[in-house]
Amino acid sequence: MNRLIPVIISGIAIALIVGVGFTSYYAQIIEIQELRDKAIDMKKAERNILNLENASPILGSAEAQITIVEFGDYQCELCYSWFHNTRGTIIDNYVDTGKVNIVFVDLAFLGSDSPIAAQATHCANEQGKYWEYHSILYYKQEGIDNGWASKSMLKEYANELKLDSDQFASCIDSAKYAKNVQNSYNAAVKMKVSSTPTFYLFDHENGMVEKISGAQPLSVFVKTIDSML
Amino acid sequence: MNNFSLVFAIPSYIVIATVIFFGMFFPLSILSEFIFVEPFFIIHVTTDLAFSFGLILAISFMSAIVIPMNIYRIRILRKKTSRIGTSLIGAIIGASAGACSCGPIGFFIISTFGAGASLATAFLTNYEIPLRLISLGLLCVVYFTTTKSISTECRIR
Repeated sequence: MNRLIPVIISGIAIALIVGVGFTSYYAQIIEIQELRDKAIDMKKAERNILNLENASPILGSAEAQITIVEFGDYQCELCYSWFHNTRGTIIDNYVDTGKVNIVFVDLAFLGSDSPIAAQATHCANEQGKYWEYHSILYYKQEGIDNGWASKSMLKEYANELKLDSDQFASCIDSAKYAKNVQNSYNAAVKMKVSSTPTFYLFDHENGMVEKISGAQPLSVFVKTIDSML
Repeated sequence: MNNFSLVFAIPSYIVIATVIFFGMFFPLSILSEFIFVEPFFIIHVTTDLAFSFGLILAISFMSAIVIPMNIYRIRILRKKTSRIGTSLIGAIIGASAGACSCGPIGFFIISTFGAGASLATAFLTNYEIPLRLISLGLLCVVYFTTTKSISTECRIR
């Protein structure tokens, strides 16, 4: 009987891993259906769903028909994968042509360095280099809490971008944007976002909202965006 | 007839192996975000994550061989269950290594259990590939010890 215990515990653990994953997944499907229902009136949807108070500046034209809202963590390897494999083509084909703009919302949960990295992007924004700093973090990513996003390294990256180092250091040391990053996290949780990267595509003309969970391939984004345009 | 053929000549063991393979491969691939079913069904493996995907495939395949062979061993030879436990531990290490990062499981664990869980998921994510290789190694060891055991016991009987 004693020898059966590890087998039973192992079985329960596998069932738990699979069960939690699928429960979250189906919760997301139900959530997206609810969102589609809510999005009939876009203005209402924007008011109720899209709280971008603490988000990044807009990348692209503010008048674009579609806004892609990305919820991400700078230590997430799947966000890294999306950044390097998909984002560039979307920028070339849709953002630079004025059809789409992109907003990034911090969902910094993966480790203690995640919120600090997120705060650093807002400090860079004070000097007008949010997106440059955002990109440098996804070029430098090396894992979770293993030093690449420590305060000293974040200051190094600021130097690489030729930011005013004193202003940046003072901003990051004072944790000036800690509350904004926490508010973004709370907003994401309120929207039932439970993984990174998660994307919401808002069509401002037709009032449609689509949710894409995960670092899905370019073809999924192209198909979704083209169906909205 | 070798031990592998001895077990898998019985149709019910092929069924068990198929169920274990797909029962591991699809959930693990979905949780590790290699397979997406919403908004479209799509399999997406980027070159930087191809090795990780290959390891999921290998772990699922090895589990589908090792677990039915152990069930056979227990049923026919009335042996103890310890090897199934080892195979499952191997499979769990492989599964949790990839599933506990930025996906829904990682978020659930970290948001529920806090800093300690965050350290654990960081470890599982940073060492995903070595952990999956250990898992695969464990399954290979269990395969060879099981094969040897079936062979020896059958000869004696």
